[in-house]
Amino acid sequence: MSEFKVHHRDGDGFSVIELKGYLDAHTAPDLETTFQELLGDKKFNIVVNCKDLTYISSAGLGVFMAYIEDVRKNKGDIKLTNMSPKVYNVFDLLGFPILYEIYKDEAEAVNRFKQSRKV
Amino acid sequence: MYRLRRLFSIGVSVVLLIVVFMVDVVRSTVEFDGGGILYFRELAVIGALLSIYAFISSAGTEKGKAATKGIGSLLVVVTGTTVLVGLIQILPGLGFTEGEAVAVPLNSLTVFFGTFVSIGVSIASIVTLMTVRDLVLHKRKKGTRRNFIIYVSILIGCSILAIPFWADELSALATTSFVAAIVMVVVISFRQSWIVFLSRREKIYSIIYSAIVFVTFIVLSLLLTNRTFLNKSVIFFSSPVERFALLNSICGAVYFGMAFVSTLFHLPTAEVYERKQSELSSLHNLSRLVTQVFDFKDLVNTVTHMTREVCGAESAWLEMIREGKVKGMREYDVVGINNISEEQIAMITANEEFNLRKLVIESKRVLLVDEVATDRRTRHMKPHGIRFGSLLSVPLVSHDQIIGILHATKEFEYGFDQDDIDVVTTFADHVTIAIENSRLIAQSLERERYKQEMMVAQEMQRRLLPQKFPTSRSYEIAAVSEPSMEVGGDYFDFVELPNDRIGVVVGDVSGKGVSAAFYMAEVKGIFQSLSKLCESPRELLIRANHTLIDNLEKKAFISLLYAILDVRKSTIELARAGHCPMIYVSDNGQDMVRPSGLGLGLTDGEIFSNATEEKTIRLRKGDLCLFYTDGITESRNEAGEEFGYERLVQLAGQIRSQSAHEIQDRILNEIRAYCGKAAFDDDLTLVVIKWLGT
Repeated sequence: MSEFKVHHRDGDGFSVIELKGYLDAHTAPDLETTFQELLGDKKFNIVVNCKDLTYISSAGLGVFMAYIEDVRKNKGDIKLTNMSPKVYNVFDLLGFPILYEIYKDEAEAVNRFKQSRKV
Repeated sequence: MYRLRRLFSIGVSVVLLIVVFMVDVVRSTVEFDGGGILYFRELAVIGALLSIYAFISSAGTEKGKAATKGIGSLLVVVTGTTVLVGLIQILPGLGFTEGEAVAVPLNSLTVFFGTFVSIGVSIASIVTLMTVRDLVLHKRKKGTRRNFIIYVSILIGCSILAIPFWADELSALATTSFVAAIVMVVVISFRQSWIVFLSRREKIYSIIYSAIVFVTFIVLSLLLTNRTFLNKSVIFFSSPVERFALLNSICGAVYFGMAFVSTLFHLPTAEVYERKQSELSSLHNLSRLVTQVFDFKDLVNTVTHMTREVCGAESAWLEMIREGKVKGMREYDVVGINNISEEQIAMITANEEFNLRKLVIESKRVLLVDEVATDRRTRHMKPHGIRFGSLLSVPLVSHDQIIGILHATKEFEYGFDQDDIDVVTTFADHVTIAIENSRLIAQSLERERYKQEMMVAQEMQRRLLPQKFPTSRSYEIAAVSEPSMEVGGDYFDFVELPNDRIGVVVGDVSGKGVSAAFYMAEVKGIFQSLSKLCESPRELLIRANHTLIDNLEKKAFISLLYAILDVRKSTIELARAGHCPMIYVSDNGQDMVRPSGLGLGLTDGEIFSNATEEKTIRLRKGDLCLFYTDGITESRNEAGEEFGYERLVQLAGQIRSQSAHEIQDRILNEIRAYCGKAAFDDDLTLVVIKWLGT
């Protein structure tokens, strides 16, 4: 089983989480830790870049559900980007595109955050 | 039987000695040359002595009698005898004829006392021989027993050679054997190994006893060799007894003289020996504890207590190291404390520059501070009133990793010597094993509990699935749910509705184990009750979502596909809450039916109801509907590729003409073949509905 890696970096007024590998019930806690750290630092504008994410299970999807409420309460958002078709299909099947903004690439999501700040 | 034997041996010796005494009374008064009677008399003496020996040896059969106690008994017997001999010597009215080779008693009183002292000396000799035997054979080596037997043989030989009937002819041999006996005495006197095992206290006693016994034997030897009352009496009584007693006295003098000197030299090391003993027994105790104490807390308390014991430390504590929340940072738990406060420990480890813990961990070696007050690693404690002389910190190393540190302090500077360090290091290794053991046991208990939980969850899941499926001439139903090793949340169910309709539901609850089984039970309850109330699948999903949303964890959700098969109308209506689409195969080919919809528990209100579509399909004879969970499409082959929707759709198209059961078996077999193994990684569920027409 390929391993899972989560890495995050900060931009100007937003943070990017990069996911790599296999996100399931066993690796989901790693992503939870990252979200906890960001929320602890009051960073609520979060872009999740799924470029290297090869698989996501229902437990992986659950992580986003766990934090979206808190993030939005603090006028922030979780925006998802760069999904492979296969990963997108999992999100789509469950109706995530209705609940989350999903973009083709990171820059688009970042722009969105910048625009909403101007407004 | 035993008492009878003792009584017999003492009786025999008394009778024989009375006979000897009577013969002697006669012998002392008249010139007597009855050779035959003297033979008999000599035999009677030997017989009496053997009986006495039998009596004494049966009395002292307690094995393993402490060496010091043995010497003490000997002291009483020998000194008592010697004092008695001395007292009798100065009694008035006793005397012997002068000028003959064998002095003859002047009167019966002399004969009586002469016999008395002779018997006394014999008894003392026998006791001496037995005591020396016990000491020499203590912790015997290969040659020890042999040497002792040689000595006793020569001793007896020498005594027998002294019997007057052949004493003159064999005098050369007698002298040689006497010298040989002395040589053997010296040889066996080097066997003093019993001293090593004495405690300090016992050693002091044995020095005093040995000294007194030594002096007494010298006196006795002098009394036996010079022409004293004792000498004359014993020779008149029996020459062999005289030899026997003299050799035993010399043996006693040499052996206990030697014992006195050896013990004296052993005295300074007595404490070391005692400590080694206690160290050994502590280590032994710990090894035993390893198999007995499973409870971590008990174990660490025992460890700190024993650390103090093995090296005589003033205080001891044990801390365990674990990975901190931030990677690379270590955290320390002081788990066992003995005779020191936590505040003090915190102070000891407060040195930023020379942190004791860091020093131990980085060097992976024992850390010793001889002078706590002046050492740069520890002098920071002095202002805080922590006063101890020296400190020892030993790492607990398991698989090349330091899992903890064992600390000990002593009141004085330079308190820990090399021996202490060695023993605490050895001890630390045992402690490591003990701790690892207790951890492993805790882990296996945890695993066992987890397994139990899994079994409960599996059993629950099994019971929640329908045992009987609806049957009809209009359709065939086949359904299967294969649980994996970890209990997932796959669910399917049927409900018979009024007007010839049946409800079919397939779902997947996020999460595993008991929580998944619990959610499944909740979903089943909701489904069974709502299906009777709701006219359409869409309505059911909206209401189910509304009920569930407040009962689910934030990160939990449920995907569901609900279809109503209407036999009278030949239709199937379905709505989807984030679940895998239905696969529909008809004359027009095969495809996925995917009305839009959100998973249950994600969001409530208009967003959910607006997102949820409903579709209706008119069925024709031979149409096939497949419901399934992602366990099917996400089955992986050895290369890690998923079985996928496309393969499933194509397969369904190919096998459409078969019966529902055949289709089900065929699909499962295809997936097994694809995965290349018999067991599935994830739960998978498949419901096949084949429309036979009305």
